[in-house]
Amino acid sequence: MEKGRSHSMGIELNRRSFVRAAIAAAAFGPLVSACSSAPRPQAGVNSGAALQAALPAHLPNTAVPPDIPSVAGGPGVLTDPGYLTYPSSRVATVSGVPGRGGAYTAVTPLWGTVPSPGNSFYEAMNKALGVNLTMKPADGNNYATIIPTMTAAKRLPDWIQLPTWWNAAFNVGGLAASQLADLTPYLAGDKVKKYPNLAAIPTGAWQVGAWGDKLYGIPSFSSSFVVTGTTYYRRDVLDAKGIKADQVKSADDLLNLGKELTDAKRGVWAFDDVWTYLFPSWGVPAKWKVDNGKLVHKYLMPEFLEALDWHYKLATAGYLHPDAVAGDNANANTRFYSGKTLITGGGTGTWNLADHQSGSAANPGYRRGSFNYFAADGKSEARMFMATSSTTVSYLNVNLKPEQIEELLAVANYLAAPYGTAEYTMVNFGVEGVHHTVVNGVPTANEEGKKNVQAQTFPFLASPPAVISNPGADVVTRDYTAWQAANAKALYKPVFWNMNVSMPQAMATADAAQAVEDSIKDCYHGKKKVSEVQEAIKTWQSGGGDRLAGWMDENVLQKFGTGQ
Amino acid sequence: MSGLSLRIRLRRDRSLLLMTVPTVALLVVFNYVPLFGLVTAFQSYDPLVGVGQSEWVGLYQFQRLFNDPLFWGAVGNTLYLSFVQLVLFFPIPIALALLLDSVLSERVRTFVQSVVYLPHFFSWVLTITIFQQMLGGAGALNQFLRTNDLATWDVMTEPGTFALLVTSQVIWKEAGWGIIVFLAALAAINTDLYEAAAADGAGWWRRMWHITLPGLRAVIVLMLVLRLGNALTVGFEQFLVQREAVGHETADVLDTFAFYYGIATGDYSYGAAAGLFKSVISLLLLWGANKLAHAFGGDGLYRR
Repeated sequence: MEKGRSHSMGIELNRRSFVRAAIAAAAFGPLVSACSSAPRPQAGVNSGAALQAALPAHLPNTAVPPDIPSVAGGPGVLTDPGYLTYPSSRVATVSGVPGRGGAYTAVTPLWGTVPSPGNSFYEAMNKALGVNLTMKPADGNNYATIIPTMTAAKRLPDWIQLPTWWNAAFNVGGLAASQLADLTPYLAGDKVKKYPNLAAIPTGAWQVGAWGDKLYGIPSFSSSFVVTGTTYYRRDVLDAKGIKADQVKSADDLLNLGKELTDAKRGVWAFDDVWTYLFPSWGVPAKWKVDNGKLVHKYLMPEFLEALDWHYKLATAGYLHPDAVAGDNANANTRFYSGKTLITGGGTGTWNLADHQSGSAANPGYRRGSFNYFAADGKSEARMFMATSSTTVSYLNVNLKPEQIEELLAVANYLAAPYGTAEYTMVNFGVEGVHHTVVNGVPTANEEGKKNVQAQTFPFLASPPAVISNPGADVVTRDYTAWQAANAKALYKPVFWNMNVSMPQAMATADAAQAVEDSIKDCYHGKKKVSEVQEAIKTWQSGGGDRLAGWMDENVLQKFGTGQ
Repeated sequence: MSGLSLRIRLRRDRSLLLMTVPTVALLVVFNYVPLFGLVTAFQSYDPLVGVGQSEWVGLYQFQRLFNDPLFWGAVGNTLYLSFVQLVLFFPIPIALALLLDSVLSERVRTFVQSVVYLPHFFSWVLTITIFQQMLGGAGALNQFLRTNDLATWDVMTEPGTFALLVTSQVIWKEAGWGIIVFLAALAAINTDLYEAAAADGAGWWRRMWHITLPGLRAVIVLMLVLRLGNALTVGFEQFLVQREAVGHETADVLDTFAFYYGIATGDYSYGAAAGLFKSVISLLLLWGANKLAHAFGGDGLYRR
């Protein structure tokens, strides 16, 4: 680019140079973005057949039978098994120690207080694992800024956790091609049988750690029933009013319920933010939809605008809590517990023992319930897209020798032992007497355990598929498993499900669509009309959105299909 | 200036110079060295390959920036908020200092001073939560109005009055802290002057006009110069926290723009370009304001 001529532009911003700059930007824009992808090593997207060959076989583990068995839904959908009590016979799934005394370092994100290095739990784990594994948990809130310094210096630890929501920021696709170990030779197909606990991890989750048709990642916290979330309600309050959740069959029903439940004088508003979890009811996908072989972004679907319009109405009608309108998300749970809001959106991770305890502390009768997924028009089939099967994936360093990789995979196999086994108890509760005592059949952390075990460091390297278990609060386990079973049929695999796409920066910026997302937020808080969001979408389209659709079509859809 | 050579002056002032070394070192390490990161504004920066290997794109990021209506929106908001704060906030600490200075009782003065200092130590999150609890749609005021069947007004989510809202938050939080420098200037005024003036029959207003205000002038001009130089810096957290409440078009200032459209989406170079633009304009403003101060015969940032 002509540096000399445009040099004065920044200071003497007269009208002529400004217009010139505008033309230059228009002319050079595509050129620059086209070559900006060149220097990045890319591991690209995964194709169908080649990927299938790289993925490990799936062999469910039945070491500890559940109280509430899984229910199958649509293809690839299986509800999480439920356990009402903590299994009393601690079955062992690993004989002997998995390691051979190797020394390794691992970095994981940690949201909480970092346990002291060399503490009694780390020591006990090293003894159980037969390796000298130095755990270096790093602050989860700053993780996205800590890791790029390691990758830039090419100084990754032996084992590292890279949460998928930062895939773009970390350029994991690029890392996979250069700094992460290819696990395909060790785990593909039947080879995984050497590690039975890893073989129990669902196939979809492995796909999340696959780049360029090769397997790199070990998924944690996987499940075959993963959704972004659902719309919750205060079951105790609605029950008392004689309102049954399954009476809500359409968006209109829900809006009417909002009117019925809002009592601003008493400080009660029916709704907290629900947009993120409710818009799929209008048949809107997470991002993309294939219509007659053509890729369509959700922003350009009429259903998307209908969904927005409903949420705009909800806010302007005054059924949304003013603090939610003011963007105070941090206190959403407090509002829900204290009954200031009665309907709220949230991830399924919220539906657990801790939530039950917090809610009951504020309100003894507290009971969380969730609406079943429904179609906004009340007539169509209820549909909800599945989310990524795992969002926490760990990777091994490319510099490790084959026998070192095998040793760490054996360690991962130990860490992935199913719920209730001897190994699971060790990883999650430590040593009995030292880190926990058994109270009413449930391992309960003592002070040492609270300090060093409950911080959950090892499960971020590998962990078994999710189960639903809330010892002491059977109602939660029963409610949640029943809800999953009732909604398993509504789940579907969205376009590009579990597919890893690494895109050039200009495309990633268009994909993030910050300006549109901001407008959407303003709209469902009643501050911007739908037409104004449409304006923002038009600007987005011309500013990169259309090119993004073209890029996705050419580089992903045409080459690798939909991933469904 | 005396005709001493540099060497002699260095030797004469060596202990003073030595004392400044740690500060200078800090300044170099934390303020000047990071300036090299500005080169990312001329790159398509990729954290994976680092500054060294990221692609050079010349002024492309600036071209994007100047064509982005959201950027100009943020510039407009910044200037507007800065202007409102200059008019409504700037005089308050001066008035407060004068008021406090006129209080004779030492105990009352110390007490009031502590009370008005305190909010400075609150974080913005806390300050805004307090405002939300008081003035928000479900806050104390509106709940009172609602139970008495009166019309409610959610000032916390009203874009039209956002500038007034943030200025009143700044006044509540920072006005007390801002009086320190003015109180110091007031304490430096020779009390003999007041006595002499009073003896000559000057009333309260005349003493204020001819003694107090001229005594404060240098400090007021200095603060004004600094304020103008920082016209593009109106705060970050305050707007970050309230962005959702009034919408991004009202709340986005240059700093939050750089955050949301640069850092948050991984578009680092774009954010760096926005930051660099802001710094260059700020430098010009500071230079201009300082010139102006000198033109009015004041000291400005330094004595000519």
